[in-house]
Amino acid sequence: MKPTKQIVVEVPTSEARRDRVEREVFARLDAMRDVDHANQIAPVRNRRLPIIAAGFAFAAAAASVIFLVAREAPPSRPSSPSLVVTPAGGSSRFTVGDAVIDAGSDTSVEVKQDPNGTTTLLLGRGTVDCDVMPRPNRAPFRVVAGDVTVEVVGTRFEVSRVGTVTRVDVARGKVKVHGNGEQRLLGAGQSWSSAVTTAGVEGSPATPADRESGGVTAPTPVVTEPIAPDKHDKPALVEEPEIELPAEAARPAKAISPQQAYEAALEIKDETKRARAYRTVANGNHTWAALSLFNLAELQAKTDVGATLKTLDELKRRFPNAGNAEDAAWFRVDVLRDARRMDEARGAAADYLRDFPQGTYAKLAARLVRPSSP
Amino acid sequence: MKPLGLVPLKLVPRTEPADDGELIAACLGGDKQAQRTLFRREYARVHATVYRILGSSRDVDDLVQETFIAVFRALPAFRGDSRLSTWIDRIAVRGVFHHLRTRKAAGTISLDAIADVDGGGRVDEQAQARDGLRRLYAALAKLTPEARTAYALYAIDGRSINEVAEITGSTKITAKTRIWRARREVERRAAADPVLAELLELGRESSSQ
Repeated sequence: MKPTKQIVVEVPTSEARRDRVEREVFARLDAMRDVDHANQIAPVRNRRLPIIAAGFAFAAAAASVIFLVAREAPPSRPSSPSLVVTPAGGSSRFTVGDAVIDAGSDTSVEVKQDPNGTTTLLLGRGTVDCDVMPRPNRAPFRVVAGDVTVEVVGTRFEVSRVGTVTRVDVARGKVKVHGNGEQRLLGAGQSWSSAVTTAGVEGSPATPADRESGGVTAPTPVVTEPIAPDKHDKPALVEEPEIELPAEAARPAKAISPQQAYEAALEIKDETKRARAYRTVANGNHTWAALSLFNLAELQAKTDVGATLKTLDELKRRFPNAGNAEDAAWFRVDVLRDARRMDEARGAAADYLRDFPQGTYAKLAARLVRPSSP
Repeated sequence: MKPLGLVPLKLVPRTEPADDGELIAACLGGDKQAQRTLFRREYARVHATVYRILGSSRDVDDLVQETFIAVFRALPAFRGDSRLSTWIDRIAVRGVFHHLRTRKAAGTISLDAIADVDGGGRVDEQAQARDGLRRLYAALAKLTPEARTAYALYAIDGRSINEVAEITGSTKITAKTRIWRARREVERRAAADPVLAELLELGRESSSQ
């Protein structure tokens, strides 16, 4: 064949763009790990019993209080601040309590702990990326950068300070930001900058136009409501997202996009509620519905093989070309194998091989279909 | 109250794993820093490959994101039959392929946001080059996803036939055939399109330098 000469296509790149993708990837992976973990430790079957929301909320709150009181006792004595300074081009990672902190290049951060256990990071300059456990019933965790205070509700966020401008990016969970004379609650994917004096919250998900620009710069409409002041020392915010819609209501609540509803569902700790939230998102006709169906199947797998297979059937029927079609096909094999339904598992493996002959699990599937002879 | 002692901070070592094996082991062991190292090491190539196949940045970030989610989810199944980078490229290209197939089914073609062919040169030359790229990707949009992917990997991303075959999971003969068909279609269009012909000629000059 006559050699084809290479056509030059310059690829637009930017660190901001890479950072955004990185944040989203790891936030989603963390959320998936949470789901996996929940699946591993939750032996309770989903029996579709009528549930009173208030009763569940009370039970969950009581359980978490008992659990956390048992786990955590506030430090009994105060400490002097520790100072972490990184050189330009360098970085450092350290832990304080349950938090993992990445101090970026040219960063100065002082770490203080009050007698009641409150951890405060005083950011002099640079960037700190904080991975923190959700705070309800844990000692408060704050980052102070000049006049801006960021209080953790949970769980992963970044604060950067350049001169007098402070920027907050939330990768997962929620934080409260006190600055510019106001308080804001930021959710996953949202950003706030002290340089923007009006409508300072930048919403998630990023629009295509944002992606084209390689970074979030222009303020977009406010998507979270200001919260009442003078309550930031108490975990007064409901941590779980409010997408408790009945299954018949196919549309998520106003101002919540399917992606936001999906991401919110990922963070719901109660499995029954999370399953309901997945079902609600799955009623739509978009990528997030396909993702939700898959997650719902994963959630059902430990307790109800029949329901899992039904959900996977639905996913295949409604979204045959979904990005997770291959994963779903292999998941069916896994579920059947775990249930010791080996003939059906072999059939599912054969289906997988037919649909994804070059798939990630093709070798495993082939081995299952054609067991090696003795 | 007089403070007693410093806030206890525990420094976490962040040594770079020496090779793929160590990096994968660290990632599988839950080392978040290793996972970020893997992401940052592979991101630029994956991003460039996806962009060069699609020719538009509208969906690139989403596909790159999906690629890395799939990579980290499937990493326990990585058996080292190929290089890690090839394995990751395969996942990325499969994602792009599915995307192209779905988009083709939906009948939409996105040709916006074509980047400059060359950062230098006069403005009108750049505009012409951008126009050439739009026409190139319009031609590619007429191809099957298989042919488009193979051609873009070979002619735009600069991969060898062997690499194209390995990444697309096809034989070398199949990869060659797909590239050949795609090239024939692009050159057929270029024969009636001087702007596209000029872009292909630029490619020849550039690669011969």
